[in-house]
Amino acid sequence: MQRFRFSLPTTLSYVLSSIALLLLAGALPWLSRTDPAAAILRSRYAELEPTPQALAAVRQQLGLDQGPIFASLHWWNGVLHGDLGSSWVSGTPVGPGVGRALLVSLTLTVFAGLVALLVTGCLITPAIRAILRNKPQPGSGAIGVALTALPEFLLASFLLIVVSVQLKWLPPFGWTGIETAILPALALGIPAGGMLGRLLADAIASASTERWVMIWRLAGARGSVLVLGVLRRAATSIIDQFGLVFIGLLGGAVAVEQIFAVPGLGRYLLGAANAQDIPALQAGLLLMAATALVIGLLTSVARHWLRSGSLPAGALPAPLPRRSHSVIRRWTIALSLGGLLLILLSGLPRDPFSVAHQRLAPPSFALPFGADASGRDLLARVAHGTMGTVAQAVLIVMLAMVLGLLLASVGGFARGPAAIANATPPILAGVVISALLGPSVIGAGIAVLWVTWPALTTHAASLLEEARAMPHIRWLPLAGIPRTQIFLRHLLPAVVPALLRHSMLRLPGVALALAALGFLGLGAQPPTPEWGLLLAEGINYVQRAPFTVIAPASALILTSVCAVAVASVGTTRAPKSAARVHPSPTDSPIVSTGSQPHPVHSDPSSQ
Amino acid sequence: MNQSVLETTNISATRGFGTATRQILTPISLSLNAGESLAIVGPSGAGKSTLAEIILGLGTPATGEVKVLGQTWSTPIRNATKAQRVKVQGVPQDAVAAFVPRWTIRKSLEVALAHLAPELDVERQIHQSIALASFDPTLLNRLPRELSGGQGQRAALARALVVRPALLVADEPTSALDPTTAAQVADQLFVTAKKTGVALLLVTHDSQLAARCTRTITITAH
Repeated sequence: MQRFRFSLPTTLSYVLSSIALLLLAGALPWLSRTDPAAAILRSRYAELEPTPQALAAVRQQLGLDQGPIFASLHWWNGVLHGDLGSSWVSGTPVGPGVGRALLVSLTLTVFAGLVALLVTGCLITPAIRAILRNKPQPGSGAIGVALTALPEFLLASFLLIVVSVQLKWLPPFGWTGIETAILPALALGIPAGGMLGRLLADAIASASTERWVMIWRLAGARGSVLVLGVLRRAATSIIDQFGLVFIGLLGGAVAVEQIFAVPGLGRYLLGAANAQDIPALQAGLLLMAATALVIGLLTSVARHWLRSGSLPAGALPAPLPRRSHSVIRRWTIALSLGGLLLILLSGLPRDPFSVAHQRLAPPSFALPFGADASGRDLLARVAHGTMGTVAQAVLIVMLAMVLGLLLASVGGFARGPAAIANATPPILAGVVISALLGPSVIGAGIAVLWVTWPALTTHAASLLEEARAMPHIRWLPLAGIPRTQIFLRHLLPAVVPALLRHSMLRLPGVALALAALGFLGLGAQPPTPEWGLLLAEGINYVQRAPFTVIAPASALILTSVCAVAVASVGTTRAPKSAARVHPSPTDSPIVSTGSQPHPVHSDPSSQ
Repeated sequence: MNQSVLETTNISATRGFGTATRQILTPISLSLNAGESLAIVGPSGAGKSTLAEIILGLGTPATGEVKVLGQTWSTPIRNATKAQRVKVQGVPQDAVAAFVPRWTIRKSLEVALAHLAPELDVERQIHQSIALASFDPTLLNRLPRELSGGQGQRAALARALVVRPALLVADEPTSALDPTTAAQVADQLFVTAKKTGVALLLVTHDSQLAARCTRTITITAH
């Protein structure tokens, strides 16, 4: 019954934050920086002057005059009666439009799911063959890493350029038939499939070294039985991550639908955010949240079904993070960082703003990356964009670390918001914030901060717990040292170095999330040189001047590669803190992994 | 010498919350007078160390009350005040790990004195306590990790005695040591307690050690 063990603060935290989330969703019009009354007045009663009386009447009609909670309840009341509200822009009900968008998105998701399944299948084939042949296995290979390296918006741009524009095999955009669904499905499905395949391959590799597999083998189990057993075991340990990957698809869909002009829910949300049309945004978010909820429910049903064997709940150890080739990984990190540094050093002294060159001038010795559509030096723009993105990423990561430390010292109360924030795709957070505040660098920063703090908070909490358990810190009160002093002079110094390292590992991922928001127009605004924005500007000229895309894309690809390589460093170091929380489960598989090879090699004789 | 140093009434400890609450110490009442030594014995998991932690003021009981020298020390809602802490000191199982690693032994002693008994003369107290604990004065400026197990345990005893406590709680003080050193440290503990008149609460699973105390209380798993 391990799963039902909740502490009071944790339970309270989950319940309260769920209620807060529902209230917040309903109160979005009230939170909006634009005056909803003026917007509605404009759209519905164009002939009316925006007099104070008229504005007040509209506010009253929406229930906005009575504060956020009433406005929220007003909206929820409408939703429960099937009324999703009316658009602030067109004045028409948003229900039908968002319904159509949902249908498109669901269709696209089915196609993307098929692609993801295919990719996953390819990635786990080596691991399954290794079980059948009874050979020790390396876990997920370099292909899995490569497939997850590219964020959806980059892969989508790449497919658009190569397949549609250069090769002219498929239409570049629209939603008119099966041929228009292929590229978006690939752009969404490949990274998701790569992620799932990597997780599953690692889980299979780890499960197949467990002792029971050897016993089954010795008992003469057929290959198919073994494979099914290992698959089920592996699926059990990563089922929760499956759910998160699918919820992440919802965020990726925003970018992909935007690039291929697919009229799905993601594009609908983005449009609503750009127009600051809050009712449309609310309706879209409601449907996305409902989808996420369905996925969550399906995940827990699947988890229940998978674990309903003879094993008690919670008795399964988490899969061991595999050590990949550390030399290759280090070289990858060094090379990608070196490449970025080269761009930075060569481009920083140049001027990113002045229109000093021929429009779309091709790359030359004087202009290594060429010039953009306005005749600005692309190398300078990419380098200054690197500076801006990296500086913002550092700031976000530091803020997340401080926030994490503060929340971790509060204890279980931060768990509920952390769970919600952890499941929010950064793009969706960006959409909501830009709808409320208008697109800005700060808004994008807040959105990325919102998805960054949970991991750091969880880590800080486990580090603090670990530090508090250290004998010399436990015994400090005996010397009469006050609590604040214990926290500041003994706990913090024990916790900060590890947390700082973890924060640094998150930098590339944060930079990519910022670029994704910039690409969608939710972050920095022109003429600021920003990676995502540069890519978005270049895509318009990709047929005439492909180099306008290559310049920012190269910086993004270097960062992506670095992010994935660095993330695998993170997973191999994580057990040190995780071991504290579940000491026994992490210990046993290590023992069985070590003792495995000998009996396995002797077993063919018995078959 | 009949002054009551420690008195606990029905103190217990739990872990977890709601339906998952587990009792890790069944209610226990005990009392200890000045000059006495009391051994707490019992199987692993019976809550011996938890009892020691509550009496040391490192945690509060789930029920009941602890009194030290007749005054309330801790209850479920209140822990010992800073002014009271000087009265109860402890010797941990692994002394080397229980010293702040970057502080020398001298610094640890000085910090405790500064916080708990600023009125006492620092040099005199340090000199006296290391003599009582038979701690080699030339090791005072060493870091904890530079001490052997036996030296560490003596340092911990000196660190506890430096503020002149009325009660000394020793939680398995010898279980991490080899038999010869363990015997020496145990002798030291009893000799020191006798010399200073401090009351000694000894948590142990070593029946020979327990037999040297004036009384023994066995606690059982719940």
